[in-house]
Parts: sequence; structure tokens; C-alpha cells
Amino acid sequence: MSSRGSLAVALRDAWKKYSLREIFHRSLREDIMRLIRGNGQPLEKDEFWALQGITLEVPKGECVGIYGPNGAGKSTILKLIASVTYPTKGSVEVFGRVAPLIEVGAGFHPDLTGRENIFVNGTIIGMSIKEIKEKLDDIIAFSELGRFIDTPVKKYSSGMYLKLGMAIAVHSGADVLLIDEILSVGDETFRNKCIDTIQGLLDQGKTIIMVSHDKSLLEQIAHRIVYIEDGQVKKEQANIEHIIGAYHAKQ
Amino acid sequence: MVTKRIWQYRDLLLVFAWREFVVRYRQSAIGIIWAIFQPLSMMVLFTFVFSWILDMKISDIPYPVFFYAGALPWTFFASSLNYAIPSLTNHYGLITKIYFPREILPLSYVTVALVDFLIASTCLLGLMILYRIHITWTALWFLPLFVILVIFTASVAVFLAGLNVYYRDVRAATGFLIQLWFFASPVMYSVDKVNIKLKLLLFLNPLTFIIENMRRCLLEGRDVVWWQFLAVSIIVVTWAVIVYRFFMHIERSFADVI
Repeated sequence: MSSRGSLAVALRDAWKKYSLREIFHRSLREDIMRLIRGNGQPLEKDEFWALQGITLEVPKGECVGIYGPNGAGKSTILKLIASVTYPTKGSVEVFGRVAPLIEVGAGFHPDLTGRENIFVNGTIIGMSIKEIKEKLDDIIAFSELGRFIDTPVKKYSSGMYLKLGMAIAVHSGADVLLIDEILSVGDETFRNKCIDTIQGLLDQGKTIIMVSHDKSLLEQIAHRIVYIEDGQVKKEQANIEHIIGAYHAKQ
Repeated sequence: MVTKRIWQYRDLLLVFAWREFVVRYRQSAIGIIWAIFQPLSMMVLFTFVFSWILDMKISDIPYPVFFYAGALPWTFFASSLNYAIPSLTNHYGLITKIYFPREILPLSYVTVALVDFLIASTCLLGLMILYRIHITWTALWFLPLFVILVIFTASVAVFLAGLNVYYRDVRAATGFLIQLWFFASPVMYSVDKVNIKLKLLLFLNPLTFIIENMRRCLLEGRDVVWWQFLAVSIIVVTWAVIVYRFFMHIERSFADVI
């Protein structure tokens, strides 16, 4: 916990505009209008704000849970932190390497074996080949896949996918881990193991940001829960019950 | 700047290329022989057509070597584009979740085509020995010509792959585009026999210069005119720089648009 205090992630008044249009194509006229008016100003037809001034500071070593109804902007926040997309207004700063633990199987090639996919998925989340070779045995051990590690992943169950993905992510050496609603697929034992591992990573000073609808999971590991609705932070609390209370009072 | 960005992610490029190579040849009966099969079948077909059906004099060089020497760089170009153009849209799941320099994806397919090229060029060497082609020092020109070919192919691939994120028309037009480009490149003919006006028109296509000269320096012992080489190099590199700038600009919104 020594490194606690300095920031890992900072969103400052972040706004994100999305278009509903099927074909995202700005005409030259629109581009010129944008130049005159400045970007991020009034909404055009078919546009909406997915995030409306999110300010969120996460110190190193903290685990933040993001909670809220569907379409509130939770995943958009993760995308901003992962630098996959950029804010329309405001700023996003990340200190250190980010590893998004993406949903089941993304980045896995069905025809490759589990072992081969460790290299594919590992390099995608920023590990070097050398690093992966060094950690290969640990990753395989963590995944609990045993002899299935040399089977093409197209034959895996979704739980096995998750185990492999999780095993790679926790060994990635990244400073900030993004977890988007995935732990629900694994069995009870593996879930508990993941929770233990997450605790261990937090003790090492890693930062974790997780999106989940799973109240008990958030309660177990998150230091702080941020309630998001309509692209805004509605409530920040350490206690889930207060958040849940606010959520249900609205409904 | 270009190289530094890719250098940082070189392992990802290598792994993507390795993945594609393994996946492409693993569950296939003849495996990497596919790499030779494509230029070889073009060679057989053209030799047949121009020896028996059309009975035309294309070149003084034995047809099999002549056609194979043209089909080899052409296959590299065509196969790169074929795989690279849909590469970004096919990896929707990655693009919307994880950051990495997006050009790594199309470039990994160019890398695979490069490996195919190296495998298939052993066959060219065999043909040259078989047909007792007199190899001279001019054959060394092949290397710089090849570098230009790779830069040109990579930049066209990255450009069209990026454009395809915005307009799926690019994907739809790929087959057609490659077919047209084939006829505009001297694979089954030589520019030598073409009149000067048409020659100038054909040389607007950088592949014309590259393929024609690769064949001349390898098979005919002819030198490349250095100032022509310089001019083409400048054009190709300038184009590549423009493409990269353009790609860096549009890359930021890929996740929102794709």
C-alpha cells in the first residue's frame, strides 16, 4: 500500500458525444461548421451525450466499482481509460500501463490452442514475448486448464475461456486493470480465487476498475463504489447499500 | 516516428503474423505449398494461354520463368491487399476494447504475404536454374526494388484498410480493384513491346516499374536506370508518409465509427 496516494487514473470533466446515425459520416459542410463553432458544442440531430462531465480520480492501489443501470455510460468510461476512444471535452489521464480484461474470448483465435492463445492475448494486452515465456507456467497453472491447454479454444466452454483470459490478465504486469462484467461466468471456486488474486494485486499497489451488476462482488472487493446514471456520477460511496438504496428509490 | 511506434509493438506484429500463418496453413492438406501454388498456377495458365491459345510472342525469355517472375511480386501485392483490407473491421472486438497501434493489424497480413513471397521465391530460383538463365550482377537490383515493393504494398494496404472502417464499399470493391490493377501491371506482358505513349501511362502505376525491372535485372541481366529508381522511390515514400499521417488522424475515431 506504499504507493497509495498518487493517482493512477484521472478523468476530469469528461464528456463524450456519440452519434446514433447508422453511417458515421460527417460531410465537409459539417466539418467546416464544427471549425467555426468549435468542437463539442450543441448536439446535432441524432447525437447524444454518453458521458456528461464525469470527474473521477482513482489513486494507486484502489479498487473502484462502477455501478448503474444499462446504458448509463459505464463501459464508455472504461473505453476512455483504455485509450480506445477519446473524450469530446475534458481530459483523461492514465499513469502506467492499462490491461483491459475483455469479455470472454475476445482476441482468442478459435483454431489456436490455449497455449498459443496466451501469446496472442498476452501481446495484445501489452506483454512482450519474452515476458510471456517467463510467466507461461504460472499462467497455465492459474488457468486450471491442465491438459486442455493444448486443445484448440473453439472446444472450450465459456468458463474455460474466462479462466484463461483471467489468468493472462492477472499476470500481465499492468498497473491498471479494467474488468467489465465478466466474473459471473466462472464457477464459485474460480470466482473466489479471482477475488483473492485481485486482493493480492491491490496489495501490490495495482489499481482495479470494475464494472459490475453483481452487488455482493462489488461489496467484497471494491473500496469505493461509484454510481453512474445518464452519463453522470450520481453518488460515490464506500457502502454498497447506500448506492443500492439510491438506485432502487429511483425505480 | 512511424518506425518507433511499430517498434514498441513489434512483438504484437510478430504474434499476429505468426497467428495468421499458423491458422492459414494448419488445417490445410498441402500447408505452406499454398504459398507456391498461387504464382505457380498463374504461370502454368499464362504459359498455356500464350503458347497454345493465343500463340503470341510475349518475350524472348522462356515463358514459365518469365511469367513466374512477374506473378511472384504480383501475388505478394494482391494477397496483402486481400487480407489486409478487411483486417480492421474483422477485429471489431479488439478495436473497441483495447488500445494498440491499429496499423499493426493490416501490416501483420503484409508480413504473412512477405513470408509467402520468400517461400515462393525459392521456386523462381529453381526455374532460373532449370532454364539456364544467365545470372549477372544486375540481379542485385532485386533487393532495393523489393524494398520499394514492400513500402508501396504496406502503404496501400494500410490506407485501404483504414478507409474500409468508414466505408465498407472498399471491401466490396477489393476483388474488382485487384483485378483491374492486375491488368495495369506487367505480369502477363512486358512494357518493352508497348509504344511510348502507353508506356508513360502504364508507369503511373508504381508496380509497373517494380515488376518490370525485377524481371529485367533477374532474367535479362539489364540494369535499372538509377534516376528512374530514385524518382519512383521518392514518389512511393512520399505516398507512404501521407498515408501514415492520414491513418494516424482517422485512427483515433475507429472505435466510435467501426
